[in-house]
Amino acid sequence: MRISRRAVFRTVVCSAALLGAVALSLPGGQAEAAESGTTFVFADNSYYNSLDPHTVFDVPSAAMRFNLYDGLYRWVDNPPRLIPWLAESDSVSADGTVYTFTLRRDVKFHDGTPLTAADVVYSVERLIALRKGPAGNFLDVIKPGKTRAADPSTVVFELAGPSAIFLKTLPDILIVNSALVRANEKDGDWGEAWLARNEAGSGSYRLRRHDPVRGFTATRFADHFAGWSDRPIDELEFRTVLDTNTRVLGMMRGDFQGTDGYLPYEQILRLRRSPNVTVLEQETMRIFGLALNNSRPPMNDVHFRRALAYAFDYDGFIKNVLKGSVSRNPGPNPNTIWGTPAGLKGYSYDLAKARDELAQVQGPLRPLTIMALAGLSDSEQAAILFQNSLRQIGIEATVEMAPWTVAASRMAQAETRPDVVPIWKSTFYVDPNNWVGEMFGGRYVARTFSFYNNPAFDRLLDRALVSDSQDERQALYEDMTRMVSDDAAGIFIYNTRWYGPYSSRVEGIRFSPVSHGLDLRWASFKR
Amino acid sequence: MSWLALVANRLFWFVPTLLGLLTIVFILSRVVPVDPAVLMAGENASAEQAQRIREQFGLDQPLIAQFVDYLHDTIRGDLGRSLYTQQPILTDLAARLPATLELAFAASLVALLIGVTLGILAGLHRDTLLDHVLGIATISCMAVAPFWMAMEFQSLFSMDLGWLPLSGRVQGFPPAQVTGFIFLDALITADAGALWSALQHILLPTLTLALPAAATMARFTRNGVIAAMSSPSVDYQMAMGLPRRVIIWKYVLRMAIMATVTQFGLTFAILLTGVVVVETIFDWPGLGSYAINSILQSDYNAVMGFTLCTGVMLITVNLLVDILQAAIDPRGSA
Repeated sequence: MRISRRAVFRTVVCSAALLGAVALSLPGGQAEAAESGTTFVFADNSYYNSLDPHTVFDVPSAAMRFNLYDGLYRWVDNPPRLIPWLAESDSVSADGTVYTFTLRRDVKFHDGTPLTAADVVYSVERLIALRKGPAGNFLDVIKPGKTRAADPSTVVFELAGPSAIFLKTLPDILIVNSALVRANEKDGDWGEAWLARNEAGSGSYRLRRHDPVRGFTATRFADHFAGWSDRPIDELEFRTVLDTNTRVLGMMRGDFQGTDGYLPYEQILRLRRSPNVTVLEQETMRIFGLALNNSRPPMNDVHFRRALAYAFDYDGFIKNVLKGSVSRNPGPNPNTIWGTPAGLKGYSYDLAKARDELAQVQGPLRPLTIMALAGLSDSEQAAILFQNSLRQIGIEATVEMAPWTVAASRMAQAETRPDVVPIWKSTFYVDPNNWVGEMFGGRYVARTFSFYNNPAFDRLLDRALVSDSQDERQALYEDMTRMVSDDAAGIFIYNTRWYGPYSSRVEGIRFSPVSHGLDLRWASFKR
Repeated sequence: MSWLALVANRLFWFVPTLLGLLTIVFILSRVVPVDPAVLMAGENASAEQAQRIREQFGLDQPLIAQFVDYLHDTIRGDLGRSLYTQQPILTDLAARLPATLELAFAASLVALLIGVTLGILAGLHRDTLLDHVLGIATISCMAVAPFWMAMEFQSLFSMDLGWLPLSGRVQGFPPAQVTGFIFLDALITADAGALWSALQHILLPTLTLALPAAATMARFTRNGVIAAMSSPSVDYQMAMGLPRRVIIWKYVLRMAIMATVTQFGLTFAILLTGVVVVETIFDWPGLGSYAINSILQSDYNAVMGFTLCTGVMLITVNLLVDILQAAIDPRGSA
């Protein structure tokens, strides 16, 4: 068949015209923004690979954990308050080892099944059997078979020993529909494969669709026991959008109604200029500092560590590099929680004092390795600033930029851990133990900030973890804080401010440092 | 060499090539100082939790044993499970492959259309203003980083003009999945809204991917046209008094197209490389964004699965290119 040049030319022109017509179509780009008026789309930079609340436990998964599931208690607001959620009341035995909870009787799972104590027992057993996600908080205190249902609305926990933080970590045990999960167990897997893609909760929202490639959508569970305001959001979508610029532009266009609250500050400044966006602001409980590997010479010499602590330009970093977007936090605990002695000043930038301390170091010096987290500007900039200061006191340091995967692996063992890592410590439960306890306690060696080895500290920690007296616990954590500060076991720089970007059409966001503004049952669109 | 022999020869090398690819990727992924079990266990996990994950996924085995196990399972069609999605790798790849294929196909089509057209124009008007302008344009397209071009397109077409969507593959969740190819699924389910939305969403990522590829094709096509125009056979046809348009249409383009076809295999490889960046920026849920996530999280099985999948695609495309070349010019396969 012969094809004329004219025909070819016509085809090319028509194709181009078609492309142009599509590009110029007026309803095109604007439709996205308009259509999302009924759905709250939250864009986050991580994947929602699994929806199992007993195997995932990180900041982005709060979207799934707190919207699809309920726990016995819940952290809300800022400063965080622990409020009864599925539990109506609790009592504890005199020796602090037996906790008895009375459950609400009006709670239903999304399939209409009533939630009972048997579901709580199954959830606890499942969590500690799978040993993933939040299980690390409970493995020491909850042993298999030691949780029982006294009756359908009473559940009893027999702990391995008294635990001062048990109630505070309890919101991390989310309750699954035991009958539904059991029906989907395969080869003794506790339904892990099934629950990664499905949902068996009683939470404020019910899963509609999950696509690990894209995220998940959920519709409002009208029968939720906590009831609803008069204008709740009916549909949520949590969408994976990896690129920061795309998330920011999407917020400005109105495609997304929320995005993560820990964006780089220059992106926050961009968002503030958009009429479509309101940036909420809260002092949070996510501290940033330089984690020191206390285990190797000369880092195990207190004078050397103090020299390092005097060599960081705290004010310069906060005021000039971070444009005052964070608050100075001189100790290991966030400023906003108890456990820090009154008037703790921490260290200030003073190279003369740094040199004095350095002169007292006994052993030989060596070049240090600073491992910054690649792609996280605060970590990178802190590392470079510190490297420059160290050079002024005669300490050479190499800065390595490593992705979180590499850094986390190297930090797991004292032998491979870099000397200095600029890093954050987030809130998993609201107690000083989450910070000073876990970062410096010998019992938490796998999640330690420091490989700090101080038997006196560990004795205080052991007492603080079993004491039922708030006054005593406060005094103990203050002593521990003073100890690590005197020892310069870490370099504490700032407490993060949360800048939560939301659509200006949204109101009622309740931020808590535990749920990071992702617990959306109180949010609504403005009239 | 006959077509059959050519295909047999390429298929013979198919398996060793893939094996070599897998070996290299396996070694590279293991020399990175990363312990995926620590990452998967999470920030608050104990050492015992991490060890349990190592055992569960066989990461505590010697490297040789891990590789042999992997090859054994791969031959049986089992690429393992993802550390993070907990799904079989094949399931993950199958979920993402249609999006990438759709984008790569659209970009290839646009690249061919633009590249060949501009290449012919430039070649036929050699050393004219048009040729110089096209030269500058094509070199610029090749020089510009895809991520920058993507962000500029977003800024212009989505933010300033508001003509096109910013990101994603379709508005909201995709229509009911039949094939995974959103255009096909929209047609099958008679969902005109989804079809229209998909068309709007694919334009910017397609252009971002297609322009550098089109520029490369234009350069090769132009050179092919110039070489053909100065070949003895064209001189002969001109001496014979054939009209210029007949010579161009019948001889020059046929000769020039060989360069374009040869180039297409390489162009497809460039497209697949570009997909990784473009999918991330445009929030396109395909293999590219899956690869990025897998690499960042040291999800070994997923990285190997992605490599295998793209390797198979590249080898297949190159095989098709060889066959096409032999069809256009049988002398090459002799």
